[in-house]
Amino acid sequence: MNSVKTDVPCSLDAQLLIDSVELPEFEAHDKQQTKYTTCYMCACRCGIKVTVEDNQVRFIQGNPNHPINKGVLCAKGNSGIMKQNSPAKLSAPMLRKPGTERGAGEFEIISWARALDILEKRLAQIRATDPKKLAYFTGRDQMQALTGMWASQFGTLNWAAHGGFCSVNMAAGGLYTMGHAFWEFGDPDWDNTKYFVMWGVAEDHSSNPIKIGLKKLKERGAKFVSVNPVRTGYQAIADEWISIRPGTDGLLALSMVHVLLRHQLVDEEFLIRYTNSPQLVVNTPGVKGDGLFYRRAGEIQIWDQTTDSFADARRTDVAPALFGEFKAPDGTPLRTAMSILLHKYLDDAYAPENAAKECGVDAETIERLALEMAQVAFRETITLDIEWTDWAGRKQDKFIGRPVSMHAMRGISAHSNGFQTCRAIHLLQILLGTIDCPGGHLAKPPFPKHVPPGIKPAKECAPNTPLKSPPLGFPTCPEDLVIDAAGNPLRIDKAYSWDAPISCHGLMHMVISNAAKGDPYKIDTLMLFMANMAWNSSMNSAQTLEMLCAREDDGEYKIPFIVCSDAFHSEMVAYSDLILPDTTYLERYDTISMLDRPISEPHAACDSVRIPVIQPDRDVLSWQEVMIEMAGRLKFPAFTTPEGERRYEGYKDFIVNFQKQPGIGFLAGYRGADGSKSLRGEPNPRQWEAYEENEGFFEFQLEPNQRYMRHANRDYMELAKEAGWVGSTDQILIELYSEKLQTFRLAGQGLYDGPMPTEEHHKERLVKYFDPLPFFYMPLEEQRIDRDEYPFHAVNQRPMFMYHSWDSQNAWLRQIMSQNYLFMNRVAGEKAGIKELSWVWVESHNGKIRAQVKLMEGCNEQTVWTWNAIAKKGGAWGLSKDANEATDAFLMNHLISELLPAKGDQQDRITNSDPVTGQAAWYDLRVKITPAADGETGTWPLFSSHEPLPGAQASPQMLSYSSHKNVNLKRPMLDILTRGEK
Amino acid sequence: MHPAFSVLIFTVTSGAGYGLFALMVLAQLAGLNALQDSTLLLSGAVLALLMITIGLLSSTLHLANPKNAWRSFARFRTSWLSREAVFAVLFYPVALLYLFGIYAQGSELSSLYSACGVVAALLAMVTLFCTSMIYASLKTIRQWCTALTPLNYLSMGLMSGALCLATLQALLQDGLSPVLRSAGLGLIALGAVVKLIYLFWIGKPAGATIKTATGFTQASVRLLDAGHSAGTFLTNEFGYTVAANKLLRLRFAMVALAFVVPFLLLMQGHAAATVLAALLALAGLLVERWLFFAEARHVVRLYHGDQRT
Amino acid sequence: MAKLGLVVDLDTCVGCHGCATACKQWNTSGTIGPLSDKDPYGRDPSGTWLNRVRTYEVGDTPNSKTVHMPMSCMHCEDAACVTVCPTGASYKRKEDGIVLVDQDKCMGCNLCSWACPYGARELDPQAGTMKKCTLCVDRIYDEKLPQAERQPACVLTCPTSSRVFGDFDDPNSDVSRLTRERGGQQLMPELGYNPVNTYLPPRNKKVVESYQIKPSLGATLKQWVNKVITR
Repeated sequence: MNSVKTDVPCSLDAQLLIDSVELPEFEAHDKQQTKYTTCYMCACRCGIKVTVEDNQVRFIQGNPNHPINKGVLCAKGNSGIMKQNSPAKLSAPMLRKPGTERGAGEFEIISWARALDILEKRLAQIRATDPKKLAYFTGRDQMQALTGMWASQFGTLNWAAHGGFCSVNMAAGGLYTMGHAFWEFGDPDWDNTKYFVMWGVAEDHSSNPIKIGLKKLKERGAKFVSVNPVRTGYQAIADEWISIRPGTDGLLALSMVHVLLRHQLVDEEFLIRYTNSPQLVVNTPGVKGDGLFYRRAGEIQIWDQTTDSFADARRTDVAPALFGEFKAPDGTPLRTAMSILLHKYLDDAYAPENAAKECGVDAETIERLALEMAQVAFRETITLDIEWTDWAGRKQDKFIGRPVSMHAMRGISAHSNGFQTCRAIHLLQILLGTIDCPGGHLAKPPFPKHVPPGIKPAKECAPNTPLKSPPLGFPTCPEDLVIDAAGNPLRIDKAYSWDAPISCHGLMHMVISNAAKGDPYKIDTLMLFMANMAWNSSMNSAQTLEMLCAREDDGEYKIPFIVCSDAFHSEMVAYSDLILPDTTYLERYDTISMLDRPISEPHAACDSVRIPVIQPDRDVLSWQEVMIEMAGRLKFPAFTTPEGERRYEGYKDFIVNFQKQPGIGFLAGYRGADGSKSLRGEPNPRQWEAYEENEGFFEFQLEPNQRYMRHANRDYMELAKEAGWVGSTDQILIELYSEKLQTFRLAGQGLYDGPMPTEEHHKERLVKYFDPLPFFYMPLEEQRIDRDEYPFHAVNQRPMFMYHSWDSQNAWLRQIMSQNYLFMNRVAGEKAGIKELSWVWVESHNGKIRAQVKLMEGCNEQTVWTWNAIAKKGGAWGLSKDANEATDAFLMNHLISELLPAKGDQQDRITNSDPVTGQAAWYDLRVKITPAADGETGTWPLFSSHEPLPGAQASPQMLSYSSHKNVNLKRPMLDILTRGEK
Repeated sequence: MHPAFSVLIFTVTSGAGYGLFALMVLAQLAGLNALQDSTLLLSGAVLALLMITIGLLSSTLHLANPKNAWRSFARFRTSWLSREAVFAVLFYPVALLYLFGIYAQGSELSSLYSACGVVAALLAMVTLFCTSMIYASLKTIRQWCTALTPLNYLSMGLMSGALCLATLQALLQDGLSPVLRSAGLGLIALGAVVKLIYLFWIGKPAGATIKTATGFTQASVRLLDAGHSAGTFLTNEFGYTVAANKLLRLRFAMVALAFVVPFLLLMQGHAAATVLAALLALAGLLVERWLFFAEARHVVRLYHGDQRT
Repeated sequence: MAKLGLVVDLDTCVGCHGCATACKQWNTSGTIGPLSDKDPYGRDPSGTWLNRVRTYEVGDTPNSKTVHMPMSCMHCEDAACVTVCPTGASYKRKEDGIVLVDQDKCMGCNLCSWACPYGARELDPQAGTMKKCTLCVDRIYDEKLPQAERQPACVLTCPTSSRVFGDFDDPNSDVSRLTRERGGQQLMPELGYNPVNTYLPPRNKKVVESYQIKPSLGATLKQWVNKVITR
């Protein structure tokens, strides 16, 4: 496991050298302590080993034993000292000064007692009257299991984290297809894969594991293909870079599917055993029931070739026909899902020659890539001679590996066709039989889950009453939508409405816009944790700032009260009424819980904790403590004893003693009274200490026979059920054909026995986009603007050294980048008469910005791009008012509308998001570029600066951080005077 | 290279001082009539020492940690800067002895003081040579790493020294001595020729390119990202860039100020014209020295995106 | 005697800057620390770094490649920075070839940085002394650190293991072997400084065969025949 960093320079005979030189003692080790915790510089959650002296950080390094990072650390993790020492740290609770404007940034420091009282009164009032008037949204937090549970207990539907504007398309695309997905849900089998395709990965999700994996590929000589309009970061070391036009990845994937099907290069055994492709689908267009599976006595049917008769699809003693058209006894025409699939993708629309026109990837390349994958999958198969038992109890003597793997992320996700594109990529993986097999795409416990996971979103809320289920879940049919009888949204973000029916992570990007409009209703309090919605985390940032300050006719703010918890002086702070200062990641207890998306690796179930390594020097309280405190004060049932007393003293107590079901809590490790039980066991009062003693994490290795084919692996499924990861040990059937999507399509067609939309545009969207098989469509913005007027795609990515982090405040990281440029292909730039480092206007349907251009080779010719979130408001994040981030850097967000481009139709007020999942369509943006006039330089628009907060430490002019006085290695004077040239 | 003003002042004034001192001593000892005048010799020696001292003091201004300046004598064995420091210091006692000799004995010096004069003149030239070798020994800067650099420093030092000497002589005596005038004209011509050869020489494309620096010699290489947004020590020190047309204008100004106009003025032979010639030449040499730095392109620039040095 | 240095693998470096900040982090409290930063929160922040990562594009559209190139001190065998140093603050250790700056003796004249072709030396704006890579001399010999961690911070942290530390004098060391097997190159060898560190050039692109297809197969649905496969 820990092979990455064990190669010490064995040739360096350290002992010999030490004998020959006299070195001073550089480090006072006896004054230093080593502590283990979990990094939080991004979402990667690496284990870190922190050396501390005198409550100062000496050194943060990767924990060599940690399953995620195996000792390595990225640029952010290595800059944790500067996060801990940021002058932007909030120092005390603050209240907007009475009589001052929201956004003016004038605050008074108040005590925690007062802050918590204010919050308690406000929340109690809301909870007792109309709980959904609390909108509680969290940013990049890693405790959604807790915050979601808190929202449920509070009784508000209006809770979500940032997934809706980040990667819900990837999560939903996988979970609605095969029960696991990319990133937190699955990984390529780095140790065995021979062919790896990376789609739209913007140097991000995830950080160190991908880097460790890519190194393994390179060492082994596996081929690495990168599909990305921009060649930076990971793409730079790819064997082949496919410069795709943004938003067309789905077409590329399906064109490869076309090639595979044309040459009959699919894993038929895999399809028959593990997917629903042989299942029979009713083929009665225009009639109720069309496109649904053919059932008898409630059981889906297949056509059994051995008996030439219908049979229950779940039976194992059958030989299902993969292709064919059949007739039910009542005459209903049927065909297998695979037949539909063949029919669909063998269509000329998906032929490489036609796909090439849209994707910008030539037909020969498409064909070649598909055939290379087929070669590796079918001719370079690997087998692991490990005996395992399938779901039906049959012994299998080996795992067959088709060593083609893929990873896809934001470049796929952040388009309005991202869900279907993600499904298209999974389809390609599935046809090649590469799911959870050696060398393929592996699931990470607690995934895979049944398709989709069996949690339905809560639909009803009532005063002083917890929700019946979590606010977020996985709808499988229109009945699961969170809408009222008239079909109107019940959530403030309009998640689970006809606008975005399967928005399983919510639509955080719509909350402020909707709340300011009072559409679908007005809220009372917006509570944000670790989310910079007043700046780079919102689309249309400039207008979002106005929305945050918008008032009713009576002078009341349209969003009456805004609470924000953050550790740092983000742009959002100035737009809040009550500020609750959070601790830094080195100052807090935290759990990266198995109930959430833990840190598991494919072959090990893992979770981890944060344990304070530094004592805060400010009047701060971690948000999780505030959550537990409020839950106690508001007497949430799960936080209150039958006698009406507070059940938990605080966060640590809650984590140890809360049980979701008997024996299952937030942490899966070191359970049982004596800490000897794993995954399930009664609470262990010493659980925190056990984690501390075990370097802050828990790792449960799967047995070799539980490591692959887990969707159909009995030994694994039994473990998963025991651990509470799945509800049953039934096979997790991969759904190439999604009947669940078809139910929505039928609702759009008016052919559904259940809720159906009344508005025409909703019907059209359902019919078009809820295709039960993945398909390609042009992203919505592109459909609604003039493509000739806005000829360029505009996308953005976070640089590796700032990915998923808050780090323009970081004195080291901001030196690497404090200004972003608009990057453009050199040839395209030269054609357009745009010169290196010239200033240009970038204009979209939503507005314009001024930016400075850099020309480059590794960029698709129809694409411009930039590094995201480099721009900051002056004065925020501890930065000076004239910081480069405030004067030269720019946000692309101003160009992106949270609504679809206006055309004067009903869709004008619909979210600029994926019509299936509500995923924010950041990368649909199209722009035109015109040179700025002479003298027009500097970024535009410019924003007013923030004033320092009360109690803020001044940002120094010179920084010389050191945890101790340096021990200089002196050169002897004799040596100086006597040494010659060499 | 970033032209640090303190270093410009240092090299120009100390160069002129060393040149003045060396020429004066040699001319005196060679028996040049005009220089058998203790007032002139004393004034010349004092002026030279003053210029050298101002230059040396100025040079310490560019040290970031001057409290360790005394340590710079330590690495005489390898460092031209150390050698420069050692010789610069050695020069003082010998030069002062010579000065004392003039003060005590007038222009009729005993052999001891004469010897001091010769040694001091030699040390002056050696120091100037060491200064030039600081630059000429740097393989990282092709515009400097040439025998033309010591030639440049020595000829400019002697030229400016000659003009200072001529100025003093013209002011203290009635009219400029024809020998000094001829020497001055000759040294100006020499300086101009050396400079023109230098300018021609550095104009030839040569040396490392971004391709050889990065090791990718088969294709074009372009910098995409330097790894920092703002300037760094390296870009401040080595990234100094002047627009080509400005460089050209400054080259013309330098040639005119340092050589052409002083030459014409010196031809006039009036005291006032001589003074003006010396002052203009010093100003011209400041420009010359500024260009010497500004036109020097360190190879580290290749890593920051320059295609060639 | 040893010749310690680094091998940097340009085939696998993704340009994450992890080595650069790990270096900054370790050394700001290390033997030559602190590494100061001027205007850290203001306009044009500019600090002292001992290791910087630059990114180049090699070749023209469409045949181009992106290369990330981290650079720090090469610990040259014939280190001109040492030769030119007037105070003797800069020196090359006899024991292992590490080039160091004695912080107590440097006068901040910058000459060593002029002599260095690699941009490895940066003047600390606060201390006024020259700072440079120490190969983490204060880690690699520290017996109180676990054996596996006695490596330079940049090597320890590199997520793609693109940095390898070792003794070039030992032909069996990883650094010697990699340099030999992968054609490791010195940067600007023509200057004659004999840099110890080597760079491994990007590997040739991996070529995968295409599946040999039967040309007779057409594109129609009808040609698919059901096989009898038991579920």
